[in-house]
Amino acid sequence: MLNGGQAGEHPETRMAGNFFSRFARQRSKHISVFNGQDLKRAVMAGHAWLEQHRDTINALNVFPVPDGDTGTNMSLTMRAATKDIADSNELAAYVIAERLSRGALMGARGNSGVILSQILRGMSQGLTGKSTFTAAEFAVALDGAAKLAYQAVIKPVEGTILTVVRESAEAAQASAARGSDMSTLFEDIVASARASVSRTPDLLPALKQAGVVDAGGQGLLMLFEGMWRYTRGESIHMTVGEAEQQVEVHKGTVAIEEDFGYEVVFLVHGENLDVASVRDTITAMGGVSTVVAGDSRLLKVHTHTPTPGKVLDYGVSLGSLQDINIENLQEQSLRYAAESALEHGRVFEAHVSAVESGGSATAVATPPVVQAPVREVGEIGVVAVAAGEGWVKVFESLGVASIVPGGQTMNPSTEELLKAAEDCPASKIILLPNNGNVVMSARQVADLTSKQICVIPTDSLPQGVSALLAFNFEGSLDENCRAMEAAIRHVQVAEITRAVRSVQIDSINVAEGDIIGLVNGHLVTADTEIESVVQEALRRMHTDEHEIITVYFGGDTSRYEAERMAQKIKEWFPSQEIEVVEGGQPYYSYVISAE
Amino acid sequence: MTVRVVVDSTADIPPARARELGITVVPLLVLFGDEEFRDGVDITNEEFYRRLATSPVMPTTATPPPALFEQAFRSLIADGATGILAIHIGSELSASYSTSTTAASVVMRDTHVPIEVIDSRTVSAGFGLPAEIVAAEARQGRSLEELAAHARDLLSRIHLIAVLDTLDFLQRGGRIGRAQAMLGTLLSVKPLIEVRDSAVVPLEKVRTRSKALDRIGELIARRGELEAVAIAESDETVGKQLETVAQTFWHGPIEHFALGPVVGTHAGPGAGAIVALTRQ
Repeated sequence: MLNGGQAGEHPETRMAGNFFSRFARQRSKHISVFNGQDLKRAVMAGHAWLEQHRDTINALNVFPVPDGDTGTNMSLTMRAATKDIADSNELAAYVIAERLSRGALMGARGNSGVILSQILRGMSQGLTGKSTFTAAEFAVALDGAAKLAYQAVIKPVEGTILTVVRESAEAAQASAARGSDMSTLFEDIVASARASVSRTPDLLPALKQAGVVDAGGQGLLMLFEGMWRYTRGESIHMTVGEAEQQVEVHKGTVAIEEDFGYEVVFLVHGENLDVASVRDTITAMGGVSTVVAGDSRLLKVHTHTPTPGKVLDYGVSLGSLQDINIENLQEQSLRYAAESALEHGRVFEAHVSAVESGGSATAVATPPVVQAPVREVGEIGVVAVAAGEGWVKVFESLGVASIVPGGQTMNPSTEELLKAAEDCPASKIILLPNNGNVVMSARQVADLTSKQICVIPTDSLPQGVSALLAFNFEGSLDENCRAMEAAIRHVQVAEITRAVRSVQIDSINVAEGDIIGLVNGHLVTADTEIESVVQEALRRMHTDEHEIITVYFGGDTSRYEAERMAQKIKEWFPSQEIEVVEGGQPYYSYVISAE
Repeated sequence: MTVRVVVDSTADIPPARARELGITVVPLLVLFGDEEFRDGVDITNEEFYRRLATSPVMPTTATPPPALFEQAFRSLIADGATGILAIHIGSELSASYSTSTTAASVVMRDTHVPIEVIDSRTVSAGFGLPAEIVAAEARQGRSLEELAAHARDLLSRIHLIAVLDTLDFLQRGGRIGRAQAMLGTLLSVKPLIEVRDSAVVPLEKVRTRSKALDRIGELIARRGELEAVAIAESDETVGKQLETVAQTFWHGPIEHFALGPVVGTHAGPGAGAIVALTRQ
């Protein structure tokens, strides 16, 4: 329940729901112009709606791999985008749009996040100098946003978020031409986006085979839908907990869950830290939406809890804490709810089960950049993204200047990559994203720093290793970039993991829980026995034509198991050299390279 | 005018060719524990690499006493040399140059025969090839000044890029120089190094042997228009592989040098280098 003081200030919040419904219907007919505050609330509602559907979007993976994260990436990008506007009373629309654009640019995570940031940038450009805007003006801005999104991608592919934003912009233009008000405009945008998303499998065969729609497109649809619901006078609860998958919109209510009063974010430096056990312990303490990422020496913890003291005490027992950030979600929720209620004369009910309001999801934790021991990096410094303690050591041993944790589980934001590049004691930086979904955010860094940046588009960790090995201590930045780009083409990569859903792709039948093998990013085999999967994956990457096989074993695999697997591989490929290296990567039992 | 050329054994010039060109080779020393061998005299390359692979003690190297250089100079003068050009391994890699300089000053004081001692700042065929070129010119009666100037000119245009099987031997022998940056790699790699200005300079790390060999070729070919190419090899297989690589960018004759016991002690088994003399 709300505390008395807050509720007392807004007696209208006690009014009945039917009053609100009537009000909402009336109100939706009258919105013809948006100011900065309208834009802010609409976008925050869109963000909240997106956040609610995050896990559903994460599950929309072409291959049934366990690390799908489009929903997370888009949500976190929107969090960063809305960070600076949440508490703003700014009335000028263009100011709000600019802040959204800047926040998204810095916080963009994953390729979908980068495209989303370009969409927000395009909208901001379209609204330049406009304190308020009409449906027609918004439609023009959205058209510009779609064009910018296409430009952000080197080879645009239809059947993705790009198609969805373009078709939505077309629908917006048509709707505005019919004289639509804001609510009708967004209704039309959402209808078009929905249809567009449902057509993505027809445009992209990989989606059709996997039986999914495009995740990025779906994310954009959720963002638009949240905005539309705002124009209808609805408010949206930001449910973050896994239990709240089922989405229900409570008209005229703003949700507050008193049980989850504080967002707690901190870094722990320690020894032998275990991601899973830390997450489980905090969850057992009552932490909700707990995210723990990092390696055995450095963890980033993010949770929502009614008892932040308990979580921090536990953190201290693990090691030394840093960058502790605690926010009172309830207070923010109440403030946001109160503002909404004031603005829209909404009914304010305080019993609905959701966790955060749109206004509270603003905490973006300090990026945990691990600075490798200072070494002679010379004029050119290499910054690499890596997940797993073993991988961090491999990259350190190859002389990288700093490592940004993440990749497979958590894609680092543009800001995190930028910070690592800025902190590196070299004026020329080579960035190794080491994950296909980090490449675009890495490319954004170049525009944000005075340092010379070269991104080698490594889409796997072994490619990152190949690139680093090709680094020539005597070469210029250009020479090194050329050599490193050439080097990554010579390595074949197999990834072995467990299927998170049943699917049939390229006549391969995958049952949920099967061991699956991907070669160079494509599913090639599935079986219940890991040995058969490894053997088939190695065969499919033409291992017999290569000289050296490197087996990087994951966090869930022991060195003993890995050595036994290596013995098997030696039997299958007796003339190849085999090396076993601890990778410690999450989810993937093995990452194997042949070169 | 009879000028004679002297090198230390790290020039890795095959004995037959040294005899043919009239080059005097002063052997450095290789020690397996208490056992001492004169490089190329008391131990063959095959025997050395066999022992390197099997010996419980790792070999070390040493510079012979100045007397050995003195002896070499005096015997050439007794033979009628009117000038001596001595070329040595880079002075920061071995004491050969400074020992020879000491010996030369003693001999010059006694005999008044000019002796020019040159610090090659490189190793193996890096100065073996220039030494062979000036030795051939010496036989045509050119003066010591001309020969010394040409030797310095040739050495300024020499490039030596090598692949090692491992950095362990370089590290053990303390000749690692800036290649330190390559140490500590968790993966097995084939380091590419360059010997330049008397130091071992790291270039790249390559995962597989065949790519490492190809890469040496690419790097050498980029150094400019070539005048001569030589190969220094620890065994015949490496020599043949490097020759195939060199033939992709060089169509003239290729001289082979055998990485002898002293250089082999620091480079380890399986090492090979392409040496190129550029026009500029």
